[in-house]
Amino acid sequence: MLLSTVIFLPLLGVIAIALLRGLGAAAIKGIALVIGLVTFVISLGLYTGFDATTAAFQHVVIQEGWIPDSGISYRIGIDGISLWLVLLTTFLTPVCILAAWNSIEKGLSGFMMSLLALETGMLGVFCSLDLFLFFVFWESMLIPMYFLIGIWGGERRIYATVKFVLYTMAGSALMLVGILALYFQNDNSFDLTKLSGPFRHSDLLFLGFFIAFAIKVPLFPFHTWLPDAHVEAPTVGSVILAGVLLKMGTYGIIRFCLPLFPDAAAKFTPLIVTLAVIGIIYGALVAMVQPDLKKLVAYSSVSHLGFVVLGLFSRNPAGIQGSVLQMVNHGLSTGALFLLVGMIYERRHSRMIVDFGGLSKQMPIFATIFMVVTLSSIGLPGLNGFVGEYMILLGSFVEGAFSKVYVVFATAGVILAAVYMLWMFQRVMFGTLDKTNAELPDLNAREIVVMLPILLFIVWIGVYPKPFLSKMEKSVGVVVTQVRAQSAAGYIEKRGLPDSQLALQGTEREQHEKSEKEAQTK
Amino acid sequence: MPVINWELLMPELVIALTLLIVLVFDLFDSISKKVLGWMTIVGAAIALWVSIQMHQAGTTGVQFNGMFKVDNFSLFFNIIFLVSTILVALISISYLGSESRKQGPYYLLILLATLGMMLMAAGNELIIVFLGLELMSLSLYVLAGYFRESPASSEAGMKYLLLGAFASAFFLYGIALIYGGAGTTSVPAIAEAIASPSKSPLLLGGMFLLIVGFGFKVAIVPFHQWAPDVYEGAPTTIAAFISAGPKAAGFAAFLRIFMEALPNLQVEWSGVLIVLAMLTMTVGNVIAIAQTNIKRMLAYSSIAHAGYVLIGLAAANDGGISSAMLYLLVYCVMNIGAFGAVILAKTADGESVMISDYAGLGLRKPLLAMFMTLMLLSLAGFPPTAGFVGKFYIFKAAVQSGHIWLVTIGAINTAISAFYYLRVVVTMYMREPEEELEFSPYASTLVIGLIVAAIGVLLIGILPSLMLGPAQNSVF
Repeated sequence: MLLSTVIFLPLLGVIAIALLRGLGAAAIKGIALVIGLVTFVISLGLYTGFDATTAAFQHVVIQEGWIPDSGISYRIGIDGISLWLVLLTTFLTPVCILAAWNSIEKGLSGFMMSLLALETGMLGVFCSLDLFLFFVFWESMLIPMYFLIGIWGGERRIYATVKFVLYTMAGSALMLVGILALYFQNDNSFDLTKLSGPFRHSDLLFLGFFIAFAIKVPLFPFHTWLPDAHVEAPTVGSVILAGVLLKMGTYGIIRFCLPLFPDAAAKFTPLIVTLAVIGIIYGALVAMVQPDLKKLVAYSSVSHLGFVVLGLFSRNPAGIQGSVLQMVNHGLSTGALFLLVGMIYERRHSRMIVDFGGLSKQMPIFATIFMVVTLSSIGLPGLNGFVGEYMILLGSFVEGAFSKVYVVFATAGVILAAVYMLWMFQRVMFGTLDKTNAELPDLNAREIVVMLPILLFIVWIGVYPKPFLSKMEKSVGVVVTQVRAQSAAGYIEKRGLPDSQLALQGTEREQHEKSEKEAQTK
Repeated sequence: MPVINWELLMPELVIALTLLIVLVFDLFDSISKKVLGWMTIVGAAIALWVSIQMHQAGTTGVQFNGMFKVDNFSLFFNIIFLVSTILVALISISYLGSESRKQGPYYLLILLATLGMMLMAAGNELIIVFLGLELMSLSLYVLAGYFRESPASSEAGMKYLLLGAFASAFFLYGIALIYGGAGTTSVPAIAEAIASPSKSPLLLGGMFLLIVGFGFKVAIVPFHQWAPDVYEGAPTTIAAFISAGPKAAGFAAFLRIFMEALPNLQVEWSGVLIVLAMLTMTVGNVIAIAQTNIKRMLAYSSIAHAGYVLIGLAAANDGGISSAMLYLLVYCVMNIGAFGAVILAKTADGESVMISDYAGLGLRKPLLAMFMTLMLLSLAGFPPTAGFVGKFYIFKAAVQSGHIWLVTIGAINTAISAFYYLRVVVTMYMREPEEELEFSPYASTLVIGLIVAAIGVLLIGILPSLMLGPAQNSVF
């Protein structure tokens, strides 16, 4: 029940705002903030009630018979991977509501309603254990995001929002075909937990799912919608987009592509990793030459998400854990960067780097926070970015599923990140202060309140990541076992060995637990 | 003297009786003509209630020497037709305004067309299907040209008549050839006659001509050219009507004849239908992108939707039939809803037919814009609306039959269609109007019709079992 409450409480907020919007702006903002905060507090219960010693799905709610004759049920639950994405979502939403406090001039109620509806959609994607339900949330989340960019965005907002929706829909069309094809190989059921391969046409199915997720991530060369969407979106839209929406792609890869189609995943790894490394370096190089702060941060996302995909396809525990942690890290630091860019834009109505310079004298608090976030994004040891990137590179290098040359190139991306971020910081913060910027006020109390919790987590994950990693260990372990063990199973089947041998292997989860026990006895 | 089981004919009798009552009451000038609209609604509602009762009871039976077959299939289609008729009557009452002279024949023709559709769905004999088709089509020709003083409306009526007559000729020729090949026009008897291995060229020729005839009636590419012109010129309520019930009726007879009479020719026709489905979806959606007139856009969109239904037919399994039926129901509700929103968006300058007329509607008429958005999202197939559920089940049935590529093309078409549906939403919410026009006040009947459609779209979208179960029970 707890999980259902977390998912649908924001939707209740949408209805409340729709009914009470006559009460004025303050009431609307109040309702939205309260709903956002309450959702976050309740979602903390998911963390405290989470049993890290098992890889099974927890907080499961199953409501059979939603559409009984089609094998569709309302099934939700979380494991150690989705737990963090759920918390990231519930954490960022109230932050966003507070950040948008004074910046929305028209249609405030619609804005808050879209934001809360979006939260329900995103949470649903991370919690669904039913393919149909997953798809419903995946698609319905598009609509509020479409409005957020299209109504409250910048000048080219219509182009950006339509591009965003069409790219995503093209991908999800292929995924829908994949879901239906899986259904008939899964005893006519959409139950995700019952899915176990090997599936027929697994290469095509893998591609169907992967392209949908790659567009969302976005992986080079599917990334062109991202800079447009980021630049035109309102600040809060960019934060949610970078913070949570992109993670839906990488989450889908962990949840579907790797465990369900291990053979295909192994087969396509060289291609995908090549694209990921191209994305890392290309994103960084393009970010370097951007004159626009927001565009710079947008391209840095392309680069960072390349790391996440690299770690996922290393197909070993360190790499995947690093990727999951890096998803959270990227959500925090890139989200924070977009918030900061938004704050400076509200003051100066410009995002061009050339318009700034010497701001550290005029806005010391802003400059300090910006520094911490910049360093976190670069991956300075002691801050969150370092832990994630280090684990990803370690996992890919030490026992990676691909050539070490890829990792060498990817590491260059870390250096490039330092170049473009620090160069940008230098041009904005140091040097002579321009006359036009001499009157800019420093951050006010509300803005500091928005930034502080993010900074807290940036430092916490950087210094002591164990509470984060320990909860996801088992779940990542299962993914790794599935992606490895099933390759073997698929191999046996291809060789035409009798079914009894396959049956002996049992399901992946059991097998994983068995190997855990063996390890303990040793 | 054959025994007539009147109970089996109840829905048709109710409509026929309503028709007579409307005809008689139209004679009295002292009665407000709006009453005629309400009579139509009440009559259709009673027939709807009767059909639902019969459907739940699972009534089956044949009448008139097996020419007329009542089963859950025909009753489910009755539900689709009657829901469409009620919704169209609701949006018509205010649309026709106070010009009293016009209303009697209008409702009379709508009821006649409805009766024709019901005959088509229950026709167990090619001649009955043809009679139903003609009863429906002749009424629609008149309705399309109903606004005599408007050149566009007259042109629409004329075009529809010429092309429709052409299609009827094809259809009749097809029946003749099938009669030549099978020696009978009764649906079950044709199936028996074709069971023998020799397939005469007469039968194949007849089958292709039937596809052409139905293709015209339900607007399948390449037989679709009449649709945009007729939708654009006809009164908007009639455009809504033509796009809904008659299309469903065409598919009802299409399904009955091809699945029941010609199952042994399935190898021949399913290939043709797959190609037609791909063509219809793609051409409909791609041309719709270029439209600036919302009625024409909806016309091309309704062509594309016929393509989705064809996927269900091409799947040719129980799932395909029931999902096609569910889709037709959903499609009728959301399409009439969309046309209703077009009528409601009337300004002092007249009807808002250009997409650019909708600029700024989101801020000025938030409820209307929200309603229009809901219908467009449903047409585009976004969850949690009925449009998504309908497409989902059609795709599912086709995947089950192994038509993965057909489904892939259908799914990509869904993405294409999102572009033009969302463009209207973009215009409503994200563009500023060029000139501020006064909107006409809302008419209460129109609003009721739209609310009914909105509830239907959301209810089926969230709880599809409500209608899916009945549809699955209705497969012949």
